[in-house]
Amino acid sequence: MPYKLSQMLDRELKKGSAELLILSLVEDQPRHGYDIGNLIEQRSKGRLRFNVASLYPLLYRLEKRGWIQGRWVEKAGQRRRRYYRLTAEGKKVLAAQRHSWQEFVEAINRITGIEHA
Amino acid sequence: MPDWKEEVRRRLSGLKLAPAHEAEIVEELAQHLEDVYERSINGGATEAEAKRVALRELAGAGVFQKEMRRVEKPVAEPPVAGAAGRANLLADLLHDLRYAARMQRKNLAFTIIAVIALALGIGANTAIFSVVNTVLLRPLPYNDPERLVMVWEDATRHGYPRDTPAAANYVDWRDQNQVFEGMAAIADESFNLTGTGDPERLEGRLVSANLFPLLGVDPQIGRVFTAAEDQPGAQRVVLLSYALWQRRFGGDPGIVGKPLTLNGESYVVVGIMPARFQFPSSDDQVWVPIALTSEQAANRNRHYLQIVARLKPGVTLAQAQTEMSTIATRLQQQYPQSNTDLGAAVTSLHEHQVGDIRPALLILLGAVGLVLLIACANVANLLLARAAVRQKEIAVRVALGARRWRLVRQFLTESVLLSTLGGIVGLGIAYGGLILLKAFIPENISQAREISIDFKVLGFTLLVSVLTGLIFGLAPAIQAVRFNQIDTLKEGGRDAATGGSGKRLRSLLVVAEVAISLVLLIGAGLLINSFLRLRNVDPGFRADNLLTMRIILPKPKYAKFAQRSAFYTELIQRVQSVAGVRSAAVTTNLPLYRQGNSTSISIEGQPEPPPGQEAIIVTRVISPGYFNTMSIPLLSGRDLTDQDSITARYAVVVISETMARRYWPNEDPVGKRIALGRARSDEDWIQVIGVVKDVRQFELTAEPRPQMYLSYRQAGLFEPRDLVVKTDVEPTSLAATVRKAVWEIDKDQPVSNIQTMEQILGDSIARQRFSMLLLVIFAAVAMILAGVGIYGVMSYSVAQRTREIGIRMALGAQTGAVLKLAVGYGMKLVVIGVVIGLIAAFALTRVMSTLLFGVTATDPATFTLISLLLIAVAALASYIPARRATKVNPIIALRYE
Repeated sequence: MPYKLSQMLDRELKKGSAELLILSLVEDQPRHGYDIGNLIEQRSKGRLRFNVASLYPLLYRLEKRGWIQGRWVEKAGQRRRRYYRLTAEGKKVLAAQRHSWQEFVEAINRITGIEHA
Repeated sequence: MPDWKEEVRRRLSGLKLAPAHEAEIVEELAQHLEDVYERSINGGATEAEAKRVALRELAGAGVFQKEMRRVEKPVAEPPVAGAAGRANLLADLLHDLRYAARMQRKNLAFTIIAVIALALGIGANTAIFSVVNTVLLRPLPYNDPERLVMVWEDATRHGYPRDTPAAANYVDWRDQNQVFEGMAAIADESFNLTGTGDPERLEGRLVSANLFPLLGVDPQIGRVFTAAEDQPGAQRVVLLSYALWQRRFGGDPGIVGKPLTLNGESYVVVGIMPARFQFPSSDDQVWVPIALTSEQAANRNRHYLQIVARLKPGVTLAQAQTEMSTIATRLQQQYPQSNTDLGAAVTSLHEHQVGDIRPALLILLGAVGLVLLIACANVANLLLARAAVRQKEIAVRVALGARRWRLVRQFLTESVLLSTLGGIVGLGIAYGGLILLKAFIPENISQAREISIDFKVLGFTLLVSVLTGLIFGLAPAIQAVRFNQIDTLKEGGRDAATGGSGKRLRSLLVVAEVAISLVLLIGAGLLINSFLRLRNVDPGFRADNLLTMRIILPKPKYAKFAQRSAFYTELIQRVQSVAGVRSAAVTTNLPLYRQGNSTSISIEGQPEPPPGQEAIIVTRVISPGYFNTMSIPLLSGRDLTDQDSITARYAVVVISETMARRYWPNEDPVGKRIALGRARSDEDWIQVIGVVKDVRQFELTAEPRPQMYLSYRQAGLFEPRDLVVKTDVEPTSLAATVRKAVWEIDKDQPVSNIQTMEQILGDSIARQRFSMLLLVIFAAVAMILAGVGIYGVMSYSVAQRTREIGIRMALGAQTGAVLKLAVGYGMKLVVIGVVIGLIAAFALTRVMSTLLFGVTATDPATFTLISLLLIAVAALASYIPARRATKVNPIIALRYE
């Protein structure tokens, strides 16, 4: 695959999956932006990384849609931080996006012939 | 440590955020940068290195600003994603409307079919409602119209429950009652207008001077009559109708104060009535004071007036009726000779003017309502089918958080948009329909010409459109959002509405359509049946090749019997010499004109009946040759001849078979003698010389009454006014020649009402034809809509079962068996619908009984025939798609998903 095309595909995949990633990360517990950014980087073993310039606009967009909600939380001995949690609507969107993502992946796999064990 | 806040703030500066909002973002981002910085320091980096790493987070300031700008911009929401629930209703509505409009454009064929079905239904409703609105709902154009009533003589005993009162009774009623503010008398009169231009006959009325103030109507120009002008011998004055004023006098206001020659006498024009004024009927062109002489005012035997009265404020119709009955009873005792069994009846003016069209209109309104219901059922079915296709879309939207009621609203917006489109097209249909309707509506409905689409009608159409949309939209909307969206997503868009409740709903709609259209078809069938019977009623004469015209001789010029007699004799002679004329005759009244005279008689040798029970005989004064011209068969005795004249030894009369049977049940009436009123001397006796077949004088639906015919050469009692000509050629082609023959005798003699007897016959059943035609049209529309509906549902269900059919065929099922299977499902629904429809029709057609003639409202033949017709149509509608299914190649069918 020519380098240019591969880079483009990467970018598109990242863009398409970013929402799903963020929603998944705040599903179980509220997290702040730095935490989210770190988790994405750690769990993807460094393959996926969002810097501040791309992560926060994304968070704000999801918040604006009502899928996540940010709240300032002060903990003893710490400066206050903004924690994001999943809303009821966000839960439904997450379910649907997970479903379509699975379908998508399965479809891609069927076509590209990647078999699961 | 670097000032992170400042770094962030600098990069946000171009965005013009609200200060508080900016501060929050700055704080959050600065903290993140600080965390990154600290981590680098903790990891052993230098301050400069750590700062560089942190600032890389904000790399490409352009990208950051662009991303933030996108966030701050109002987000374009995905369709109905639920969050909008908080936003205001209007914005939602606009959004829904735009979305709905997009959907309609995307499914243009669907939209067109639905809009046509709805437009037919709504258009028919609008058209009929505008008739109902004008004729039944719009108040009469008089002051306080609900207090205006008509007062009649109740002569039920003689078969006239609402008879025109005699002048003396009117005078007594007027002077003795306490319930009316005023009472005015009206009598028919026609006038020959001569002097300026062609002679012309004008329909007019003799009226009490107080009629106009009583109605509360002012003239457009000039004044109404004074009480002094309503006296015998007063200056002759006349009011003109607006139409006459425009047509004959070019709308010249200078005509007021000028004299006109009417019936050879000079009348001064005192005023012009407004264009809308028509009283009692739209034909009236002139009004003249009635000026009853004391002799006229004392007459209790000539029943010719129409009485209109205004109730005092607070007096009800029932109170007025009670009062008038009391007065009538008193008059019965006072004048037993004339008033025995004579009551008084009060009816509202509105009811009188609307007359018997009310039941027909209400039935038609009901019928179009049913047509609309069928259209609704059809569109609902289409929507159900489409909802099935759209299930995946709905599932995604529900998954994305759209609330269900919000989706229902979106669906309803779509259906109301559809029905509103239907309403707009329907208005066009109604407008065209009204033009047609006006051509068919019987002219004797006084407001017929004013029928139009006004704001009330527009409001009605809007209301009906919106309601329609809600009705046909609700079922599919609820259906569409009720299923489990996860299943749908899993199935990859397989139709969940094919099973269970979706199918049930569609079947229900088919059953309803069949039932409703059966009711309409049976109603139409009954009316057709009635109309055919009506057409087959023998009127007693032959209407073909008959030309008729009205020639009324003005009294002053033809005051003497001999003058009139000479005119008729010459008239008949001249007309009969016209080429193409077989014979000609005159009569006082042509049959089926709904007017004419009756006379009470006494019979020689039979006891004088008690007062109130005299023999009342429909009387016509004719010329010899009338029976021949009209082809009325002579049953016994002889016809009138020219020798039966004033100089003959005795007067003669020809009677009808009904009269013969009733008064000489077991004898030959020929040679017997009768007298008009009572015979005072032997010269008063008139000899019966012949018996002719009955003629339906008033209307085809009424049984013939006893009738008799006198010769114009002997009887001055009533003056003939209708000329009837039997032609060898097309009758109207001779109209001009015959009229010229009249003018050769008297150049000032007006000729009017030129028409063929067939037209008169047709007009006499115009009402029945009107109701029948409309109901047949509506029933036909209903049947087509129902047929299309059944076809649609069957196509859909067969398409769903293509795989099953394929398997059966592959396993060797015969085409016939498969057909039976597919058609059987449709026919089951149709039969259920027919049974329900039959029950409904049985209950509903009773309201039609006043419109029926010769058939009962539950006529078994009509019920059976119409049911079979509908079943046949339904069978065809389900056969076509079933047939198509059997043509499918089993292999393809098996693969079909």
